[in-house]
Amino acid sequence: MTVLLETRKPVLSETQRRGAFGDLELSLMTIETPEEPTPVESTDAVDPDPIDEPAADDVETTVAPAQTADVRALFEEQAMQYMDQLYAAAMRMTKNPADAADLVQETFVKAYTAFGQFQQGTNLKAWLYRIQTNTFINNYRKNQRNPYQGTIDDLEDWQLGGAESVTQHSTTRSAEAEAIDHLPDSAVKDALQSIPEDFRLAVYFADVEGFSYQEIADIMKTPVGTVMSRLHRGRRLLRGLLAEYASDRGIAAAPAPGRKK
Amino acid sequence: MTDCGCDKAKAELEEYIHNELTRGEAADIAEHMANCESCTGEHLVGLTLSSKVKSACNEKAPVDLRAEVLLKLREISVSS
Repeated sequence: MTVLLETRKPVLSETQRRGAFGDLELSLMTIETPEEPTPVESTDAVDPDPIDEPAADDVETTVAPAQTADVRALFEEQAMQYMDQLYAAAMRMTKNPADAADLVQETFVKAYTAFGQFQQGTNLKAWLYRIQTNTFINNYRKNQRNPYQGTIDDLEDWQLGGAESVTQHSTTRSAEAEAIDHLPDSAVKDALQSIPEDFRLAVYFADVEGFSYQEIADIMKTPVGTVMSRLHRGRRLLRGLLAEYASDRGIAAAPAPGRKK
Repeated sequence: MTDCGCDKAKAELEEYIHNELTRGEAADIAEHMANCESCTGEHLVGLTLSSKVKSACNEKAPVDLRAEVLLKLREISVSS
């Protein structure tokens, strides 16, 4: 199955999206976990910083607080435990080990430098993820091939291609679940890598990290509704790809000749 | 598809799996699934997808990376 990225609606979004992701002030990087849904910040209201001016660079030059040995010890104790998770996420973001290692290192350096702004008692893992996601978007995404990836949310389902035809032809859902369960990890990772980045990250944050939709919205700086849409579409694409992979390799309980409709 | 509540259940299944529904909403879905094979199957596929993605992405950072990061943090502390 091919994901049709080249077709897109030529409306809005390029600036909107840049606006949404351009504001990398670390001062805003406190993740709160509100009891009830907070009103979504309007990205339109934010003066859209150009994406190629990552404000994070200011951190080293303007913030550069003298971190005491105590602060370093605290940071090491609290933050270093998330290295494996951040690395695994970085692999899904950058798609290669060298860039993933660089991204993680940069994330820890930025987080350490800004650690004074982290509110103890709030969600440190989500805060680190937010820094890493920002860093990735500012430093890596713009180097990637498809400059229009950002408008993926505007695509219609039919433009994405997808799971419908595949899943409807599956034998039974329990057979489908069993087939998915038997796939090699590499197939799952390949499938993840091939779906649009925003969908992939939403799926990753929800299914691997177990972040709430609100936390994902904070990390990705997007409304909760967009998170839900990205998740839904991402999982749908994934399911289709995995079903396809399984039936190609004969992993599925093969559809019987007189299969159910 | 029947009109037994499948539309609603299927629409909310993903939120159900991600634990995003209120207790009451979740109870409705669970109750519906108890009597609906189709939605139970969808739920199973969704759960399997989640757990499969999670287990496939379980990766460890290279050993060197930890040491490199710690060194870097020390450098920053010294230089500032």
